[in-house]
Amino acid sequence: MLATYKNKRIKRSTEDYIIDFVVAIIVCFVFFVTVYPFWYCIVLSFNEGTDALRGGIYFWPRKFTLENYNAVIGIDYIPTAFMVSVARTLLGTVLCVVFTGLFAFAISHKKLMGRKIYITAMIIIMYFSGGLIPQYMLYKTMGLMNSFWVYIIPNLFSAFNAVIMMNAFREIPDSLEEAAIIDGANDMRVFFQIVFPISMPTMATMALYSGVWHWNTWTDSAFFISNKSLKTLSNVMINLINQSESAAQTMVGNINQSQVTYTAMTLRPAAMIICVIPIAIVYPFLQKHFVKGVMLGSIK
Amino acid sequence: MSVINKAKEKSNYKARIKRSLRRFYAQRWLQLFAILGFVYILIFNYLPMLGIQIAFKSYKPSMGFKGMFTAPLARNYGFYHFISFFKDPNFSIVMRNTVGLSLMKLFFSFPVPILFALALNEMRHIKIKRIVQTVSYLPHFISWVIVYGILFSFLNTSNGVINSLLQSLGKEKMEFLTGKEYYYTIAVISDIWKEMGWWSIIFLAAISGIDQTQYEAAKVDGASRFRCIWSITLPNIKSTIMIVLILAIGSLIRGGMGGSNFDQSYLLGNSLNYERSVTLPYYVYEMGLAQQRFSYATAIGLFQSVISLLLVLISNYVSDKLTGSSLF
Repeated sequence: MLATYKNKRIKRSTEDYIIDFVVAIIVCFVFFVTVYPFWYCIVLSFNEGTDALRGGIYFWPRKFTLENYNAVIGIDYIPTAFMVSVARTLLGTVLCVVFTGLFAFAISHKKLMGRKIYITAMIIIMYFSGGLIPQYMLYKTMGLMNSFWVYIIPNLFSAFNAVIMMNAFREIPDSLEEAAIIDGANDMRVFFQIVFPISMPTMATMALYSGVWHWNTWTDSAFFISNKSLKTLSNVMINLINQSESAAQTMVGNINQSQVTYTAMTLRPAAMIICVIPIAIVYPFLQKHFVKGVMLGSIK
Repeated sequence: MSVINKAKEKSNYKARIKRSLRRFYAQRWLQLFAILGFVYILIFNYLPMLGIQIAFKSYKPSMGFKGMFTAPLARNYGFYHFISFFKDPNFSIVMRNTVGLSLMKLFFSFPVPILFALALNEMRHIKIKRIVQTVSYLPHFISWVIVYGILFSFLNTSNGVINSLLQSLGKEKMEFLTGKEYYYTIAVISDIWKEMGWWSIIFLAAISGIDQTQYEAAKVDGASRFRCIWSITLPNIKSTIMIVLILAIGSLIRGGMGGSNFDQSYLLGNSLNYERSVTLPYYVYEMGLAQQRFSYATAIGLFQSVISLLLVLISNYVSDKLTGSSLF
């Protein structure tokens, strides 16, 4: 389409100009509105706290400092929460992809006995669930309350991911698997050495999907964990955001109170940036694979 | 005669079982994977579904897990908790907020990604188009907690960006985060901000799948660009729009495509704007985990699930009849 426009540049009508103008405005607006909030947080997080309170900082730090980040890391529960989040994300993602993948691999075989039952069981849970309280009672009975495993075990299986993986596995030619079976491999090996590597783009998408979810979710930590050393980063962030100016000064230990220059106004964005950095790191991979993922998921 | 037949049947039956067992053995690994997943689903998804029965019972947290099955039936033939929910003074507030917010999100959040996709598609600088698109779905991958943090930084009264600007313009500060009159607006706009780029991916992908010869033919016939959008692009992505609409209506109670009602009620809600911020998913949490009224909360949760399910089925049916596109 680009080429046609270039060739016919002389012929552009008023309508063309109007459309281009409106499109440019929309696109610029979306860009600004999306990027600026993040930019503002970055700017604020690098600015001295007491200085920021005077206001007027919008596009560039006025008094540059790294103290806000130092202070955030100095809050006793932040490093712990960060580690809990990292641990749950890594472990939860690997286990979820493998466990869901194995199930999806099994039900992608048409010859599987009871396949209809398995698939129906999987579809129903996408549309109906027991709800919060029965879940809560189940976890309580299983001893998952106040345990790290409440992050992992209830999220081992994802029906949504299973459907996408099943569709991906179906694309793999049967002959590949059959050849491996004839050579004496069992289905476990077929899955890990043939199916998994071949479907790597899909599996990577699923892993990223699961990873981002694990990193971002905060409800399980809020509902099922009361032990402060097991809270996730996204959960403790809520407290930090709600912190008032006066409380912010005393949050950080081991710092001479008279030299404190950070304020809640600058601590908040610094903590938020720390929370977003892991997402920003995987974002290039995300946007490469996710476009495919969302298409796979929505149009079966 | 009949004896022979019976014997034959018996041996047939035995042979069939034998064949099934052999088949099962041949696929024992696959069965292991499937059964592991199946048992997991039974425990973590279907067992809680059985637990829904406490909505009809007088259940107390002290009764434990087993008590969910043995608790006595509630009054009014088990419908006591449903009736008390309908009589709850908060019922009308919760319902108004849930339905109101969900409809507003549907009305505003649903067309915006389509318009954005159309605009991006008309963008002729491919590089700018790619950059803006990539940036636009970043918020989708950010936790609602962080979105709340951003909103807080922008909207709080002491040093928020908007209020600082208002002040420097000589206007009075606005209580965005505590004033109940602002809650709907903030909830809807933040929902659009977070999910617009993400949902536009689907529409852009559908647009890029359109056969380009249609546009060329239209241009030969002298069709304008706007005419091309209206008569070629939109009709071609109709089925995608319908499918996304079904998804959006199906998740209406949870807060539309972003499923944001609970996160927003919990994070943006406070005692001052409670009257506008409380929604069904949040009320379930409040009654259940915060106030420990388990039977009552489960009844409300069931009420919510049934409405959601009905919405999915109805929208799916209507779309199937009208346009031929459906989820199942």
